[in-house]
Amino acid sequence: MIAVFNTSSLCDWAKLMGDTPWPLLPVANRPLLDYWLETCGHLGIETVHLVLGEDAKQIEDFAGSGKRWNLTIQYTFARPSERMVDYLKSISNHWQNGLFYIGGPFFMRRRQDFISAGFQALEACRHDFEGEPLFLYGTSATEVKDLLEGTSGESCGLEQVHVHPLVIGGIEAYYALNMKMASGECSRYVTAGFSGSDGSSIGYNVQTPPSSHLQPPILVGDDCHFGAMTTIGPHAVVAKHVIVDSYSELTECLILADTYIGRNLEIRKKIVSGNRLIDPFDGTVVEIDDSWLVARNRPEMRSEDFMRYVILWFVALALALIQVVPYLIFSPLILVTKIAGFTRVQFHDPRTGYITLPVFHKRSNRKSMIYRLFIGLSLDRFPLVLQVLRGKIFLCGQPPMQHPQDDGIIKQLPRYYPGVFCYRDYNRDSDMLVDALWYAHARSLFEDIKILIKAVVSRFISAGRQ
Amino acid sequence: MLVNCSKQNGVGVVLVSKALTAATVDSFRSQLSSWQEAEREVKNFVVDLKQVDFMDSAGLGSLIAVLKRISERGGDMKIANLQKKPRMVFEITRAYKVFEIYETVEDAIRAFD
Repeated sequence: MIAVFNTSSLCDWAKLMGDTPWPLLPVANRPLLDYWLETCGHLGIETVHLVLGEDAKQIEDFAGSGKRWNLTIQYTFARPSERMVDYLKSISNHWQNGLFYIGGPFFMRRRQDFISAGFQALEACRHDFEGEPLFLYGTSATEVKDLLEGTSGESCGLEQVHVHPLVIGGIEAYYALNMKMASGECSRYVTAGFSGSDGSSIGYNVQTPPSSHLQPPILVGDDCHFGAMTTIGPHAVVAKHVIVDSYSELTECLILADTYIGRNLEIRKKIVSGNRLIDPFDGTVVEIDDSWLVARNRPEMRSEDFMRYVILWFVALALALIQVVPYLIFSPLILVTKIAGFTRVQFHDPRTGYITLPVFHKRSNRKSMIYRLFIGLSLDRFPLVLQVLRGKIFLCGQPPMQHPQDDGIIKQLPRYYPGVFCYRDYNRDSDMLVDALWYAHARSLFEDIKILIKAVVSRFISAGRQ
Repeated sequence: MLVNCSKQNGVGVVLVSKALTAATVDSFRSQLSSWQEAEREVKNFVVDLKQVDFMDSAGLGSLIAVLKRISERGGDMKIANLQKKPRMVFEITRAYKVFEIYETVEDAIRAFD
């Protein structure tokens, strides 16, 4: 049996939420396509044909070779002039042992009695939407042929295996589905033992100050950052890379990935996708992009980034001129005492892929005044400051990511600004990924100067404890 | 003109004719202030947002500043004809708790009685 998923069909309501192709729109923080591919495993399918449309790249980037689901995914492009039924007929040699087809925003909503093994008992069935087949399932060539001709498939369909065939026909249905998932249905889609008894789930790298208030049931994705006095839930679905500022309250809402929610806001019965505020009940969309309200948390700021880079280059020059004499004095002493030294380590580089940078390491465990002064005056960063002057790295930014240790983190960073000084220079407990995401959002000349001053002062004060 | 002011039953009716954003708040403030200076006896105001289809935090901030100034002079300010998109901004910022919002200008004027 093979599976064919048509991701090329048009879905106007999904466009309201931004650039994410509809097959990748999250349902309880998992792309719709992910559920389909997972179902292939339950059906014993090994080969999937993904029919691509204009959002081909994003879908291909997500699904890849299919290895993650133990599948082999083959890609094909939809021909605008060809109906999907005709396409399916044209590949009849592939479905001689059966076909599992989904052709639009369709969700197999599991009822309470659903069990994965139940799929084995599923009989040939077809579910249509606006006259076109949206779901087909047949286990033999004859069954599939009859389904395509429309001469069979009148059985109770997916309901037979306790699956409600839900066509996501609009933004309201999409919102309602997410709210149902958040209110407890989500646990039907995860392996037993991984579901919270209160129907909640929370991802990795989520930063919540003690005063944040999480009210289950909620679904929170990875790498989220909630400010103090924030209330999340009940029935809130918060996707990955979302930042919520202090005093805000999120209930009965769906927050899609890469969204920034400003301070003291109340998001209730709304969808927020980046800078878009959407009323799911009438489809009204407001594009705001105001960091006091809602905004994308990864804005394009090329001209600002360039200006910031130029100004900080001169700051780095000034810093290098201040440091050069102390460095020339202390560096030979450090080498002679053999207490510490520079080693060359490979880091990720945003332009060339990899870059080798000198990293200062302590080699001996004994106490040394020279070492303390060297660190306290940030002279260990002097070679890196010279790299800033050469245009290789930034003066302030995200912590440089080592290769291969930090490969997992770098994949999650669409923007990478390796800097000499970063948040962790004055906040040792900080998480590298969350810091990197926060910097990508908050980067500005003011933020860089703040990091520089705090890092230099903090390093000077704490050097006595080395 | 961004702001068109008139007097109805002793209440100042301020018709705003464009989106209230960071780009327009300065002219909104200055035009309204000029009219307030000229019509010093007017204490109460209705801001008619019939033609305002978008508002950002700066626009909202300017409305709050105007409300504060009017309150300091012993008057009150109400909002009328709030459109769907600015209404969503009012909802998320809890501004609906700060302002009295009416469906029409007439309703807002009647509320002063």
